[in-house]
Amino acid sequence: MSIAASLTSGELTVKSPVRRKLFGDLARTRLSGAILIALLLLLWEVSAARGWIVSDNWPRFSAVLVAAYRGLLSGELAEILGSTLYRMLAGYAAGCILGVLFGLVLGSNRVLDWIIRPLIEIQRTLPSPAIIPPLILFLGVDDTLKIFIIMLAVFPPVFVNTYGGVRGLDETLLLTAKTFGLSRFDTLRKIVLPATLPAMTAGMRIALSLALIMAVIGEMISGASGVGNYLMSMQYAMRADSMYAAVICLAASGYILNRVFLRLERAALHWHHSMQAE
Amino acid sequence: MPELGRKGFGLLSILGVLLLWELVCRAGLVNLSLLPSPSQIAPALWKILASGSFLVPLGQTLGMLLIGYTIACVAGVALGLLMGCSEYLYGLLEPLVEVIRPIPKPALIPAMVVFLGIGAGMKITMVALAALFPVLINTLQGVRGVDPVLLATARTLGCSRFETIRKIILPASLPMILTGMRVSLSMGLVLVILAEMLAAESGIGFLILDLQRSFQVRPMYAWIAILAAVGLVLNILFEMVEDRAVPWRAK
Amino acid sequence: MFSMRNLSRVLLTAAFAALATAASAQTVRVNYIPITDVTPLFVAIDKGYFKDEGLTIVPTPSTGGAAGVPGLMAGAFDVMYGNVVSTMLAQQQGFKLEVVSAGTKQFDNPANTNGMVARKGEGIRTGKDLEGKTVAVNTRNGIIWLFARAWIAKSGGDATKVTFKEVPFPQMPDALRGKQIDAAFMVNPFFNASVTDPNTFEFVAAPYREVQPDVEVGHYISTQEYFAKNKETLAKYNRAFRKGVQWYNANLKDPDLIRIISGFTKMQPELVAKLNLQILPEIVNLDSVATTVKLMKDNGLVTSDIDLAAMTAPDALK
Repeated sequence: MSIAASLTSGELTVKSPVRRKLFGDLARTRLSGAILIALLLLLWEVSAARGWIVSDNWPRFSAVLVAAYRGLLSGELAEILGSTLYRMLAGYAAGCILGVLFGLVLGSNRVLDWIIRPLIEIQRTLPSPAIIPPLILFLGVDDTLKIFIIMLAVFPPVFVNTYGGVRGLDETLLLTAKTFGLSRFDTLRKIVLPATLPAMTAGMRIALSLALIMAVIGEMISGASGVGNYLMSMQYAMRADSMYAAVICLAASGYILNRVFLRLERAALHWHHSMQAE
Repeated sequence: MPELGRKGFGLLSILGVLLLWELVCRAGLVNLSLLPSPSQIAPALWKILASGSFLVPLGQTLGMLLIGYTIACVAGVALGLLMGCSEYLYGLLEPLVEVIRPIPKPALIPAMVVFLGIGAGMKITMVALAALFPVLINTLQGVRGVDPVLLATARTLGCSRFETIRKIILPASLPMILTGMRVSLSMGLVLVILAEMLAAESGIGFLILDLQRSFQVRPMYAWIAILAAVGLVLNILFEMVEDRAVPWRAK
Repeated sequence: MFSMRNLSRVLLTAAFAALATAASAQTVRVNYIPITDVTPLFVAIDKGYFKDEGLTIVPTPSTGGAAGVPGLMAGAFDVMYGNVVSTMLAQQQGFKLEVVSAGTKQFDNPANTNGMVARKGEGIRTGKDLEGKTVAVNTRNGIIWLFARAWIAKSGGDATKVTFKEVPFPQMPDALRGKQIDAAFMVNPFFNASVTDPNTFEFVAAPYREVQPDVEVGHYISTQEYFAKNKETLAKYNRAFRKGVQWYNANLKDPDLIRIISGFTKMQPELVAKLNLQILPEIVNLDSVATTVKLMKDNGLVTSDIDLAAMTAPDALK
């Protein structure tokens, strides 16, 4: 029972049962929310069509839909999204692996922690767009640069959460493992990893949206391909409808990625809970 | 003693990296006009710091960040509470949140310019929009995670709705809210720098890009160093606030 | 003894020549901004002129603000289209660049492709009218900024009394409409879209042409290192590129040209057809560049002398 339900049910008693049923249904089906979105989109359409807002950068929503349809049909949008997602996932994977690795090592080795963590603290608080200009000097403007900056953005949340997870481990668990003569590797595999999994995945979830944002930012600042570059070049080509079409597809990919992640996370944590129950 | 050891090692490792960097430069392994050595950057940094010329850009960037961030935190917590406590509002706003949240906010800059122009308003909105969602989502999750027994007790004791929120829901969801705010802070910092790079005539983000464009590499690195310090200080400040607000979560 | 030395010299030279040919890439990576000024490059690709010389061109666009010369120095590409001001700024800061071929020149032409635009009916005609007002340029300390300032001074105004605001080209019409700026130095397609909207905007002046007739705005550049190592490749590049310029200049109204431009700028063909395309130069005129460098000096952008002849490929001059 969620708190929303428990709170509202307490208040609803004063209202008529008919209203309650009607509104309750609306709320449960999120119909009201869908209507709100439809109204906003209508407002967009009308504001552009009636000339309330005049700008080459404010096309009608219907024009955006047509552009999206054309872009999807010709495969142009799929290709652009594909190149962004490919880089995003490559950088995401690299960032996650490094984050987990450093989190585990620094979480369990005090000397390495003392030596390396100050450097990580500096890296993780430095906003990534700032280092794109100097990074271009070394990595050029191609995939290497973009994957690298995505990795840099993904690393901190994964590292911080993994590190926190390892540090928060129950001392007695580790002592027990020692007593039973578990090897270092076995301790890691059987105790540390399962226990830190929830924290790790929480960090990875935050990192997921960061990765997509950084992928787009990298392409916007030093573009040659991908959605970020497409957004810029569509502006320069005065094709705002295609630009918004790409934004919509980008949002949809972000949404789907998030959903897929939640599925995977639930599966992993389910396995984790059943492991712990054993 | 361990605290001292920690700090000592930390300082040593940073110095070590700087030394390595210096040696690599001195050995001629890199193009010095692309990557100057720390000893070449230091005078540029000193010049900026000593002349006080860092104050205005720093103030602009921080001001923009803090205004946008504050708006995001207040709006995020308020919306999160409202959506968490009212099923109507949840049904009404949740789909909209789910539609806007996954859009990488930099992609909205052209649309923002149409409505808000190119000035501070646009940049503050960008920061606020980017920082809003982590706070909103976490507040919502925090509110929904409050123990129903607590709420039932509050009702039995005749607490008003406002009191329930203030005395029970808010404290119970505070750790989640703070986690969201922490993510938002780094998100806001990223966005303010980016907005200054894409459309601005002042601020640290603008300066870094402008110096790179006019090939003044040493002051560019000096500014990046200043920005790193700003990020570090903001983070430490946030941790201090967090330790105060949720003392039971302190390490 | 004598012949031995000669022989070894011949052998060494041959060895070096072999190495050099192996090292001189037959692929040239060219960075460009997707504007109509770089059309000859795509004409030459489309018509197979590069292929005829045995070259493969890999064009990479840069729309964002951060690539350009840093990417060139980093070796991300071999040749790039760049504006004269940023080339000279880089040169002054110790980045050794070489102008390899001509790019854009503002020939005397009745139709404008860029210029200062203001809101209709506000009576802005000269630089004097802009004092106390705000003017948008794409980047500060860039070529647009330089000529906006110079034009203000030339038409009786004081550039120090004008506020310059950085606004990306696509946002200039919006900012002008929203009254956040009072004038903007626009380029195509935004310039054309604005001046063909006479109810909202009006054309004020063409700063490039009024300040310095026949000014050379952009060039193709490489690093001096790449130039020294790839003279032969660049000679071929230049021949093919020049054929592209010649075809372009002879076929400004050709539908095929519209197709090519639409291809790399992503502009719709109908939009391309509306733009007044200008002829482009085949060779670099050093006197013209020197005049621009002098202008940079007057505006405090460069402080030292720049040896223009030393940094320009002989092929680009004839």
